[in-house]
Amino acid sequence: MKTIKQISIFLENQRGKLSDILTALKNENIEIQAASVADTNEFGILRLITSDQKKAAKLLSAQGNLVSMNEVLAIQVEPDTASFTDAIDALTAGGCTISYLYTFHKDGKLVLIIRPSNSLEIAERVASEKGLTLIQGWE
Amino acid sequence: MNSKYWNEEIETMPRKQLEQFQVERLKKTVEIAMGSEFYAPKFKELGITPESIKSVEDIKRFPFTTKNDLRATYPFGIKSIPLEKVVRLHSSSGTTGNPTVILHSKKDLDEWADAMARSMYCIGLRNTDIIQNTSGYGMFTGGLGIQYAAERLGALTVPAGAGNSKRHVKFITDFGTTALHCIPSYATRLAAAFEEEGIDPRNTTVHTLIIGAEPHSEAQRKRIEEIWGAKAYNNFGMSEMCGPGVAIECQEQNGMHIWEDNYIVEILDPETLEPVPEGELGELVLTTLNREAMPLFRYRTRDLTRILPGDCPCGRTHKRLARFQGRSDDMMIVKGVNIYPIQIEKILMQFPELASDYLITIETVGDNDEMTVEAELAQATDDFSMLQNLTKEITRRLKDEILLTPRVKLVGKGVIPQSDGKAKRVNDLRNNH
Repeated sequence: MKTIKQISIFLENQRGKLSDILTALKNENIEIQAASVADTNEFGILRLITSDQKKAAKLLSAQGNLVSMNEVLAIQVEPDTASFTDAIDALTAGGCTISYLYTFHKDGKLVLIIRPSNSLEIAERVASEKGLTLIQGWE
Repeated sequence: MNSKYWNEEIETMPRKQLEQFQVERLKKTVEIAMGSEFYAPKFKELGITPESIKSVEDIKRFPFTTKNDLRATYPFGIKSIPLEKVVRLHSSSGTTGNPTVILHSKKDLDEWADAMARSMYCIGLRNTDIIQNTSGYGMFTGGLGIQYAAERLGALTVPAGAGNSKRHVKFITDFGTTALHCIPSYATRLAAAFEEEGIDPRNTTVHTLIIGAEPHSEAQRKRIEEIWGAKAYNNFGMSEMCGPGVAIECQEQNGMHIWEDNYIVEILDPETLEPVPEGELGELVLTTLNREAMPLFRYRTRDLTRILPGDCPCGRTHKRLARFQGRSDDMMIVKGVNIYPIQIEKILMQFPELASDYLITIETVGDNDEMTVEAELAQATDDFSMLQNLTKEITRRLKDEILLTPRVKLVGKGVIPQSDGKAKRVNDLRNNH
């Protein structure tokens, strides 16, 4: 399947928590390519795409964090709203719904990180069929 | 030895005979305690003499003894025999005021070892077992108390002591340990240490856990049994009575037999100090019948329990105590509602998404008391809505149990402070406390 790995870290709503995580990554020279924080008053989930996901997950677990790794779609489009819209429309037309999404710029392109709320496999197939550019892992 | 009992005569003694046995021992204990500066004047005032004791009912004539008495007479004020006949002392930490000291003669240590060996035998441990003790060897009675008893049983005993889970994992693996003595919260922590080494605790040689010294729910026991693939037996002791070896569950796992040849058991209303109707919840009050250095009469344990009615299928005639419902001094009054930490624990343990650590914080916000329950998540997840629903569901179930709505906060590993001793469960930050 053409997907990439994302790590999710459970965050207590606690001062200094995010800084601890970032510092740990910085000290190991792990680069963050994209980050997203979902939160409530009580807790949050930090989602990360980094230059070395396995190393990052291991490091953060060892630090005592609850870390999980899962697969998400990474769709590369031109860096404009029209292309963004086209990609979402294509997925919607194929029957996919989205649990969460965040974006970042890489090599002059816009990358959409998408976790479908139904099947990841179906979403991946739909994206391929609609001719969207899926990124598989990072080199 | 192939018997079902360590001491069949004592353990299965008919009730009438057992009570007569208690009367004889009570008389003897009074005689010893006449040598105590603390008890002698009280006995004189109340007309208590060995000859005046005719039945177990006479216990009602005795004065109560409390932890404060032990503190006020620190260190040796209650002793009944000269210090040269005392061979050991154990002491509790003095986090609130003076520590307390409990003295033991050679005979006391001997009887204590025998009682705890009886308890071990009762849950199926034999001299072929290898028993590893995770309690600290020091002032805490869970160390030496278990050590001497296991040796009395004839088991190979591993005095590994508290902390250092990695070392425990190595010992269990290398020695083929078959039984562990630990506090319930450590049972789960040690299991996690095995998992970190890539070993499923169910694949170890451990078949029995003796758990105690920390109140725990039936759900927590079940969880411990599941993760270890072993039987876990609730064991009760307290340093004032000797240490571990006061009461233990038999293999029926339905209530702890309290060794009544060694103690007179009363269940009293903590307010009125009158007996509660049989089978109802009250404070456990104990009188030692087989100790000489420092016998205690009507000692208020503060533990809340009840006597299970009826006979036990195991054949032992000694009364059974229900799982402790907390301590009378653990009770929190929040917004006028009486709440015990164990009620909250019972609910949290029903959620497989949670690990075993939790912390209840009560604080004053404006004019109101507010309760926050922090519960440790067992596993990481990317599923945000699952966590939100879990929070809601825990809140709802807690509200059903304690009748007020706490703020539920999920936390990751290591946020809740842990200690090698008893886990801290309640943090009361209210102005008036």
